[in-house]
Amino acid sequence: MNDKHIEMRGVRKTYKFFTLDDLSLDLAPGEVMGFVGPNGAGKSTTLRLALGLIAPDAGEIRVMGHAMPDGQAAAKRDIGYVSGDMRLLPHATLGWHMDFVKSIYPEWDGGYAATLIKRFNLRPEQNARSLSLGEHVKATLLLALARRPRLLILDEPTTGLDPVARHEVISEFMDVLRDDNRSILFSSHNTVDVERISDRITFIDRGRIVDCSNKEDFLDRWRRIHVQLPAGTTLPSLPNIVGRVNDGQFITLTTNQFSEGLLALVGSHVRDVQRMNLEEIFVANVMHHREARGQ
Amino acid sequence: MNIVIRKLIAKELYVNRWFIVGGSAAGMASAVIASLGKTGFNVGALTWLTTIIASGVMLALYGIMNERKEQSLQFVLSLPLSIAEYVRAKMLGLTACFLIIWLVSSVAALMPILLKDSIPDGIAAYTVLLCVFMLANFTVVLCGALHAQSEALTSAVIIVTNMGVSIFMFTVGPLPGINEHMWGPAPVWNSTFWTVLGCELAVMAIAFALPFFFAARRRDFL
Repeated sequence: MNDKHIEMRGVRKTYKFFTLDDLSLDLAPGEVMGFVGPNGAGKSTTLRLALGLIAPDAGEIRVMGHAMPDGQAAAKRDIGYVSGDMRLLPHATLGWHMDFVKSIYPEWDGGYAATLIKRFNLRPEQNARSLSLGEHVKATLLLALARRPRLLILDEPTTGLDPVARHEVISEFMDVLRDDNRSILFSSHNTVDVERISDRITFIDRGRIVDCSNKEDFLDRWRRIHVQLPAGTTLPSLPNIVGRVNDGQFITLTTNQFSEGLLALVGSHVRDVQRMNLEEIFVANVMHHREARGQ
Repeated sequence: MNIVIRKLIAKELYVNRWFIVGGSAAGMASAVIASLGKTGFNVGALTWLTTIIASGVMLALYGIMNERKEQSLQFVLSLPLSIAEYVRAKMLGLTACFLIIWLVSSVAALMPILLKDSIPDGIAAYTVLLCVFMLANFTVVLCGALHAQSEALTSAVIIVTNMGVSIFMFTVGPLPGINEHMWGPAPVWNSTFWTVLGCELAVMAIAFALPFFFAARRRDFL
């Protein structure tokens, strides 16, 4: 149990208009988990629970071997946390922030910090108040990365960034991943970013995890099958179909368990089989689960 | 006290450094103005009171509410500390900031009384009580800001504590044990003085201790 960087079991957190329910999540060392969900799905709540900033109403959370939230001070020694809406102290410069973090973390890597300053085109003498959104994200990322944490928790770090800034930030995450012992939990509703860096993906919607799997597994399992049925013919009952759109004699089927056997069942009516990208899988997955739950 | 708490206290002193300098200078200048005759006393006393009240309110507002509103609280809480340690660091850090302004302003208010012959020394006892009241008032504002999770509630605490200053002046000033010696040649440290001072210290102790029992034990801080 203790070798996992994050372990959540049966976690529940209730607010007046929102409940995060029966959340279970594992993150092993060296793993990058993309945590994908629409706005208000419970991504930030989950990450804050992992950091110990809020306490669960039920369930168990262990991070870096420490029970949360009680062990948060010790756990956070090994965690770098960056959130898209996190801001630095407005009356201090980036250089002051670097010295401040350095004085708390003996592992601070000054050489790496200097490299990141150059790479992100930041200036230590810049006041935090004058930083743009992109610069703020890069600055908080620098402060988190240069202390060489074993676990990075990133809450929508690329939201609101322009494409170039997003590329720079994502590239830096890729660099972090060269170290096999470091793990990342990365929340976003931008599936393109998640698809680039994650090796496992968890979908969350309306406070519940709807699916969790390896990225390749998702991409392999999900397909769109385009079928053309001659008049008077009907499709046989097919397993693992999670979506069906009829347009006259054309039918589009979405499956989450694609196999040659499934194609054989449809037979000669198949016109095309399409791979789905992560965004399409995410939307189809969420809609399927909402229908299944009668939402 | 661990290193993170020490660093956070130092952080408060750093980020509020110009505010501390400005508040101390204003407190000192007000006290000097107050020693310049009757009109000067009225103007100076008013600005002195305003300086100390505003300093306390702004430190609590900027130090706690704005940190939350401007999302820099997330940065602070990402550091290796517990909620209890954050509350401790905040209480000690902001109190240290206010203490500098308060000490400078209080000493500046007492010095002319004790040094200038034109001002009767008898008013020193009341001035000491007023100064300690202002410190107690700050601890109540700080306590309220740490407990309140909304700006509205914090504003309510500020309004109530501001009213407290007027109530203090209208109730403590006319107390026989204080009033009859106020314009005398020497300060009188009688039982009335010690009773009022005791009440102020008790309020201060309670306001300072409450966050350690309640805010520090809060399970949700964001």
